[in-house]
Amino acid sequence: MVIAKLAEWEIVASEDDLAELVPAYEALMKSQNVLENMLRTRSMGNAMEFPLSEPAVIHDLERYR
Amino acid sequence: MATDAKELAHSSIEALSEQIRTQEISPVEVTQTMLARIDELNPKIHAYYTVFHDEVMEDAQRAEQEIARGNYRGPLHGIPMGIKDIYEMKRTTCGSQSLQEYVAEEDCVAVKKLKDAGALILGKTATYEFAYGIQSLKSPVEPVRSAWDLSREAGGSSSGSGGAVAAGMAYAGMGSCTGGSIRWPAQCLLHVGLKATYGRVSRRGIFPLSWSLDHPGPLARTVKDSALVLQGVAGYDEGDPASAKVPVPDFTAKMDRDIRGMRIGLLADLYEKSCDPKVLEVYNKAVDKYRSLGAEIVKVPTIGIPELEAIEWPTLWADAAAIHVRNIRNRGEQYNPNTRQFIQWGLLVSSAYYLLASRCRAQVRDDLNAALTKDCDVLMLPTAGFQGPPPVAEESPGLNFIGSAFEIYTPIFNFTGHPAIQVPCGFDSDGLAVGFQIAAKPFDEVTMFQVARAYEQSESWHTMHPDI
Repeated sequence: MVIAKLAEWEIVASEDDLAELVPAYEALMKSQNVLENMLRTRSMGNAMEFPLSEPAVIHDLERYR
Repeated sequence: MATDAKELAHSSIEALSEQIRTQEISPVEVTQTMLARIDELNPKIHAYYTVFHDEVMEDAQRAEQEIARGNYRGPLHGIPMGIKDIYEMKRTTCGSQSLQEYVAEEDCVAVKKLKDAGALILGKTATYEFAYGIQSLKSPVEPVRSAWDLSREAGGSSSGSGGAVAAGMAYAGMGSCTGGSIRWPAQCLLHVGLKATYGRVSRRGIFPLSWSLDHPGPLARTVKDSALVLQGVAGYDEGDPASAKVPVPDFTAKMDRDIRGMRIGLLADLYEKSCDPKVLEVYNKAVDKYRSLGAEIVKVPTIGIPELEAIEWPTLWADAAAIHVRNIRNRGEQYNPNTRQFIQWGLLVSSAYYLLASRCRAQVRDDLNAALTKDCDVLMLPTAGFQGPPPVAEESPGLNFIGSAFEIYTPIFNFTGHPAIQVPCGFDSDGLAVGFQIAAKPFDEVTMFQVARAYEQSESWHTMHPDI
């Protein structure tokens, strides 16, 4: 999976790089679940407002002044 | 080195600028002191890549003449500083073998502003490669050493600017912060590290790491010094699409007001379970100090470390991958191994993941903004949950240090954009520096400085420096 994804970018990783990337990719998949769970705690209406484009804080200036 | 020269080298900008304004001391004398220390100490500390010996002496003489003629520009006039080597100014390597020959055609906006304010630029300071690839003993450039303990690194990625200030080789240094690269070295070195609100300081001409997370800012000895430097670099820039068209206040306006009755919101959900007990013990004393100063301490619900890491790091690496992918493809061998691997990792982040992270990021930002509107005036938490700085790395640490005892609490304000400052609060039982963060509403740096200064002035940590 990691090799195929990098190939999409014409990147060939060394064995040493892959030894780091494979567990890192597994960690990324776990993080994906963390994010999905975060969003589940919000109402659908709130979720539909996101994402605001950047810069993130500036969009909210007026709302919180 | 004479004691008086050492004391001069470790002076605050606040004190030194008054001596320069009244012509009690000349910028020429100050700059000579800095250059002598750099010549002596930089071979041990490795904080500077390039030192502008001749140019900075010419600038110092010009400053001396201007001040003598009554044209004093303000608190940065005649103050020698260092500039992180990702800021465009002369030769700019970003700490990478891949950019050893790059010479900037003009100064970046922040450097121009500092020069306009009269600051004297001593040189370009060391950085983790492209502001995140940790330098090891196997890297082509030497890691920066902490003046407190030469066997340890100075933290990063703004290692050189922090290392120079700690060693008395600059009065402040400009850094950049994408996940904590100003506040973390500041904690390691018992300094103040500042990241203002996203959009407050122009990033034009500073090599990007992540467009939506990058914040330029200073490392300095005191809260007031960091406010003075921010005053010099803040302001709208139409050339930076993220720059905010908002007024620039006097950042020192509330600096010495007391904080009785102010509400400090602890982000305990983020650190209570993950923070090293030795660090937490020192931090909790700072919380108690705030209580004794008359502040009301409240708790503000927020995310934990897994959520913070899930939002911050993939966002950062995906942005970095978009910036570096062409170079990695064509000359990846010129990058430090862990820089290259981080970029490759960024290419594994799907667009759907990135958007999920953006939604969660907005959620955290909204929650903190709501708390700062209803429940508290500022937020407080430790800078990091682990002891630091680490020993100088023998070799590239690879990717796996992320997610394994890497409880750093700084990134939350990179992805929400709130202004945040690291304030030193002492040493843990192993003698390693500890610090905490104060964050405030967007563009309310004035309140952040007020609260940070109140603690600082109630203790003496800001007066301590390494015996070097």
